[in-house]
Amino acid sequence: MTTPRFCERRYLALWLPRFPIELWERQDPSLRSRPFALTARLDGGIRLAAVNGMAAERGIAPGFSLTDARAIEPGIVIRDADPARDARALAALADWCTRFTPVVAIADADTLMLDITGCAHLWGGERGLLRDLLERLAGFGHDGRASIAPTPGAAWALARFDGRNGRIVAAGHPASLEQALAPLPVQALRLDPATASALDRVGLRRIGDLARLPAVPLARRFGETVVHRLRQARGEAPEPLTPYRPVPPHRVRAVFAEPLWRPEDVADATRRLLDRLCEDLRQRREGARRVTLDLIHVDGRADRLEIGTAAPSRRPDALMRLLAPRLGGADPGNGIEVMVLAAPVAEPLATAQAGLLSAADGTATEPEKLTDLVDRLDNRIGRVVRPEPTTSRIPERAVVLRPPFARTVGAAPSCWPLIVPRPHRLMIRPERIETVAEVPDGPPVMFLWRGTAYRVRVADGPERLSPEWWDAADDGRAPRDYYRIEDVAGRRFWVFRHGLFETGSRVPDWYLHGFFA
Amino acid sequence: MTDYVELQVTSNFSFLRGASHPHELVLTASLLGHRAIAITDRNTLAGIVRAHDAARQAGIRLIVGARLDLRDGPSLLCFPTDRAAYGRLCRLLTLGRRRAPKGECLIDKADVYEHAEGQVLVAVPPDRIDYAFREDLDEYRRQFGRALYLAIGHHYRGDDSRRLHRLADLADSLGVPTVATNDVHYHVPARQRLQDVLTCIREKCTIREAGHRLFAHAERHLKYGTEMARILRGHEDALRRTVEIAERCTFSLDELRYEYPDEVTGDGRTPQQRLEQLVAAHAARRYPDGVPDKVAETIARELELVDQLSYASYFLTVHDIVRFAQSKGILCQGRGSAANSAICYALGITSVDPAKFDLLFERFVSAARNEPPDIDVDFEHERREEVMQYIYEKYGRHRAGLTATVIRYRARGALRDVGKALGLSADAVNALSGSVWGWGHAPLEDERAREAGLDPSDRTVRLTLDLAEELMGFPRHLSQHVGGFVITRGRLDEVVPVENAAMAGRTVIQWDKDDLDVLRMIKVDVLALGMLSCLRRGFDLLERHHGQRHTLFSIPQDDPATYEMLSRGDSIGVFQVESRAQMSMLPRLRPQTFYDLVIEVAIVRPGPIQGDMVHPYLRRRQGLEPIDTLSPELEPVLGRTLGVPIFQEQAMRIAIVAAGFTADEADRLRRSMAAFKKGGDLKPFQDKLLNGMLARGYDRSFAERCCRQLEGFGSYGFPESHAASFAQLVYVSAWLKCHFPDVFCAALLNAQPMGFYAPAQLVRDAREHGVEIRPPDVNRSDWDSTLEPADGRLCAVRLGLRLIRGLSRAEANLLLENRGDGYADPRDLWRRARLKAVSLALLADADAFRSMGLDRRQAAWAVRSLGEPPPALFAHVAGDHRPEPEVALPAMRLGEHVAQDYLSTSLSLKAHPMSLLREDLAPRGIVTAQEVGRVRPGRRIETAGLVLVRQQPGTASGVIFITIEDETGVANLICWPDVVREYRKAVLKAALLSVRGRVQRESGVTHIVCERLEDLTPLLRTLSDRDRTAGTRSPSLPRGDDPRASRPRQLPLWRSRDFR
Repeated sequence: MTTPRFCERRYLALWLPRFPIELWERQDPSLRSRPFALTARLDGGIRLAAVNGMAAERGIAPGFSLTDARAIEPGIVIRDADPARDARALAALADWCTRFTPVVAIADADTLMLDITGCAHLWGGERGLLRDLLERLAGFGHDGRASIAPTPGAAWALARFDGRNGRIVAAGHPASLEQALAPLPVQALRLDPATASALDRVGLRRIGDLARLPAVPLARRFGETVVHRLRQARGEAPEPLTPYRPVPPHRVRAVFAEPLWRPEDVADATRRLLDRLCEDLRQRREGARRVTLDLIHVDGRADRLEIGTAAPSRRPDALMRLLAPRLGGADPGNGIEVMVLAAPVAEPLATAQAGLLSAADGTATEPEKLTDLVDRLDNRIGRVVRPEPTTSRIPERAVVLRPPFARTVGAAPSCWPLIVPRPHRLMIRPERIETVAEVPDGPPVMFLWRGTAYRVRVADGPERLSPEWWDAADDGRAPRDYYRIEDVAGRRFWVFRHGLFETGSRVPDWYLHGFFA
Repeated sequence: MTDYVELQVTSNFSFLRGASHPHELVLTASLLGHRAIAITDRNTLAGIVRAHDAARQAGIRLIVGARLDLRDGPSLLCFPTDRAAYGRLCRLLTLGRRRAPKGECLIDKADVYEHAEGQVLVAVPPDRIDYAFREDLDEYRRQFGRALYLAIGHHYRGDDSRRLHRLADLADSLGVPTVATNDVHYHVPARQRLQDVLTCIREKCTIREAGHRLFAHAERHLKYGTEMARILRGHEDALRRTVEIAERCTFSLDELRYEYPDEVTGDGRTPQQRLEQLVAAHAARRYPDGVPDKVAETIARELELVDQLSYASYFLTVHDIVRFAQSKGILCQGRGSAANSAICYALGITSVDPAKFDLLFERFVSAARNEPPDIDVDFEHERREEVMQYIYEKYGRHRAGLTATVIRYRARGALRDVGKALGLSADAVNALSGSVWGWGHAPLEDERAREAGLDPSDRTVRLTLDLAEELMGFPRHLSQHVGGFVITRGRLDEVVPVENAAMAGRTVIQWDKDDLDVLRMIKVDVLALGMLSCLRRGFDLLERHHGQRHTLFSIPQDDPATYEMLSRGDSIGVFQVESRAQMSMLPRLRPQTFYDLVIEVAIVRPGPIQGDMVHPYLRRRQGLEPIDTLSPELEPVLGRTLGVPIFQEQAMRIAIVAAGFTADEADRLRRSMAAFKKGGDLKPFQDKLLNGMLARGYDRSFAERCCRQLEGFGSYGFPESHAASFAQLVYVSAWLKCHFPDVFCAALLNAQPMGFYAPAQLVRDAREHGVEIRPPDVNRSDWDSTLEPADGRLCAVRLGLRLIRGLSRAEANLLLENRGDGYADPRDLWRRARLKAVSLALLADADAFRSMGLDRRQAAWAVRSLGEPPPALFAHVAGDHRPEPEVALPAMRLGEHVAQDYLSTSLSLKAHPMSLLREDLAPRGIVTAQEVGRVRPGRRIETAGLVLVRQQPGTASGVIFITIEDETGVANLICWPDVVREYRKAVLKAALLSVRGRVQRESGVTHIVCERLEDLTPLLRTLSDRDRTAGTRSPSLPRGDDPRASRPRQLPLWRSRDFR
């Protein structure tokens, strides 16, 4: 073995074999006591992507088709896998891991790689760091497999394939690294399945088998990657980590012995961090364009609050004003143990600076103005909503009120028919009226509403609307016949008969439902 | 009552629009007192024959029509007034269909103008009446004149009175009369829900998203005339005109007169003369020693009947097709009722010799029935396309077309589509539809929902189950029939619209075979049969390697060795009698003559099994039960089957001679037997049969048995003629297997996939019959398996490259074309044949480099270094020739070889996987299949093997039959439903199965009645770690906990063939 050509570093690989399952179980602990699996669409069918312990005990494994799994365990609980959500959760965990080292990389969908060079002493050595990490993870409900080695490749391989959890390959002993790697299967080199199976075909199954062979014939047959991966694992080729978050130039951090959970404490701490950050900015004659605040909770959650400024700024008060509303929305949960405040984007800043978001400031963009307006209206008058058409044919369900900036979901607004007019005012509840009308489906000749009689001059209709039978609430309901009517005084109404007139059955009721202009 | 005829009716043949079957609409119209009803499906006449048939039965008149949805104008309802106009409508639809992709139709206004003569046209107004519509209507008026009407209706839109007014004004101003319609989409309001669901399926949305794409109410059903008059008060003229149009459009499908093509004579003689001449000539060739009197008589009688019914052209047409096939060396044989005809035999269409058989020509052609005969001909499956293209070429696409098959919703698809429309999650939909077994005609049970983990009392699940059940049977799209050709004298596209099939080069008519039956149109079934391909390959090999020339008809008859072999149940690969049920029947039946084979083919069928005919027949044959003394009139009918009716023809004959049925009634009995499974009513016939037989003095128990047996035929009975045609192929293939197992094995391997068994069993069977099998090799193998000289009488079979999974034909051809005297080493192969890297790897995996002295691992190492093929110009210099250091690869264990053999070619000549696993099985008390055969019946044993075949016959009410195999032979398992329930996963999924159960033996056939099963499939994965010598298992690789870290390729080593 050649001597490593670079300064020896230390890497910790953390593999989370059951991460997606554990996320669900954290959300709903009752899942732990039932067979439970996540499904994904694979190979043209629905297959299990992950299973929990109860399911595994019954012989159900990832890769099973849903049908097979149900054949074994009809009561298995199934959820759709959500890789995007898992990735977000892993990213949050990566943020949390910055409590150990600022350099945290996401190696793949279920593995984090930490560069812990020079960090372990805070935990009483690598063993201590490893134990602390795994214990905390276990506390969050995550089963982690970790390993520390001089190369990321070796750490990755050992975390996954070394049966013992927590293997540490000592620094400065190339031979022990070699020895640790040799019995592992070639897949531990992060090879694609095709290459691994090609190697299997010629009987090369373990890293040790490969290590014995000359590199040139190997590379010719199985590609440079195999040799490169092997060299990386052995520390003969460099493997730089790409941290999940670039370590920002301006970054301040606070660790609390007692977790913070009162909002005012969090605000205070933020304010103190801002002072430090702004001081840092000032020294470099820069101002922040973006500020991020990471709140790392004792339960492993990590929230990130982020603000942007229209112009570079380093006034703690101004930045605090922007951050404060977001802080109010943050849930301290069981307590916050680490806070990291950073300015990932900063620009040179002259001595004077303009006011932020002030009315006189012409730099705010149009959408910002609208937001501003809505915010003010909300504060002064009350709830601001926006009516949106939906696909229902039942008039009172045909509109929903939505938050002003919520994006439209489902059908396009054009789902309204434009053949027949709808009233300008729709009553929230239709009101019973007494009518005189021709049977079976003639319009009212006159009607009585709230004690007043209205004589109908002209009428149009009926427009017949069936109940939405697929809705349980509508099951067995009668159709409605709507009429547009105008009384002798020129007032126009929208009334309906609820039910059809059938001889022998109850006479249908009439309702007033709206007004036309 | 007000006279009213509904003229705008969308049935479910307007796929995903109409929510009622044509017959439901027609019947409802008749119940509502309408005198007629039109069916106007969108650009199609696919449902019109059903409607016609229903109208005939309901006693009302069907107005033939279609709704023309145009690319550039408002839709038109088109009603032909006479036969000629109908022909034009068909041509118009054909035009639109032929120029569009499958399932679509593109018609322009101009096309309609060209075909408008004789049509009554009704313009359908759009949602919004605007100026553009006025323009269009005016143009239509100028084109169609007095044939044009404007449809008006009251649709409860809210603005109906104004809209009706506007339409009436518009019509008035243009001088176009209005006509009332209700734009019917279903027969009763209750179908609204299904119609909504269909809309969602069509629009690919859920019911909550569908919104105004759904009809707002349930009013689009057929209504009483009085109701129509009430809602259209003030438009009495429009109502009256519905009747007026109905009276104008008197065309009926009954006017379609089918005419046979006539070019088959072409020399001035009548078809009859030509047929007689041909039959005489061919009969003389068939019987070189002179036509036997009995046959000559039969031929004369048949010719007379053919003449009387003018079917001569039909026979000539079929003969022409068969003659073409024979001239190209394509094997063919008629099947079905045609084998009842001596003419067909003489003409070489069928191969059942009338000299040896009592033929029932009436079953084929009958004067009483006035129904066209049905000739089905099987051709080699690989060359049938040639025959089909010949037909298109000879008669032209305007005269020849394939029959359609209406693809209907079955349980699985119905559940899937309805579930999706009602917004069930993809997961729930899959679970639900995935829990349906088999063909899924059966109603959907709550049990299925529960099995899928869904609560059947949940409202959405309940609605899904209910609506899916309603949807089942709805036509979904048209597909092509397997081979039913319709050929006409005049233009086919004036009889029925013709459209494009999914397959390039095929055209399909819009009607299926039931429709043709209703209209008494003739079709010729050009079918494909794998066994014929196999036999042709066999005959070729026989000639080349054994110097014997044979055809289907020249195989020596009544060969004792062949019957002896079949009586042993030694029938793997033999046509029709290779299934497990047949195999266990053979030793009991012990066939000695050709007729025994006919019975063998027919008796192992659901019909005879359910009708309880198998056991009486066997007992009588084995002399365990007396044979009824038959009355003199029944003796000729039942004598040859020992008094047990086995064939359809016998059921008909019994009805005629013993119960006094007329020939016509007997035929209706046959039809209702066939329709029984579709819910037809057999009861009146059974009563008539029973009473008839009692009245004629037959024993009640005998008469009752006959009735019961008829029920069995309902499910699935075989006509004797059909069985005889098949028996012919049974005999020929058995003879080949018996005398030339080498030829038979190679021919079967080359005709794969076909039959019941995988290549592994065919190879094993051949080896057991003394045939040497040689592995595929780059220097020896052809694409197909071939024969090579070997010691002894038989040749050795060299497996072909086609067995190598994944290897493409084109790459194999490159290898073969450049082989010359052979390849020296892998580099030579790569350089000269210029194969892709992936193909070289496949060849190495198949261990096909042995002739170069390389085993698969060395070959894999060698070919890995070669890369993609060199450019042609530089083939001689290409490649990296630098010498490489010698590399010592780990030696390959036998288990690895066997596993890779299976992965690559699905079989191994090196060892049976089970023999390598035996060391683990023996200590557990698991015995071999051979030992099972020696165990006393009634004992309990445990055995294990690879699962070859799983079967769940529809007749066996949940019993699953499994055949497993180990290194010593096969074992037959029976799993009763309770065992299936308990060990469901092992029963359905295991590749390697261990079973404990009780041994049963009858007539030398052993079964194991399973009591406990275990899925040993994981053991198969350890195969690679094993070697010949016991105890040499290498330690497994560490797996960590990562499921992906186990063996890289987890392809199933072994896959069973499942039939259900």
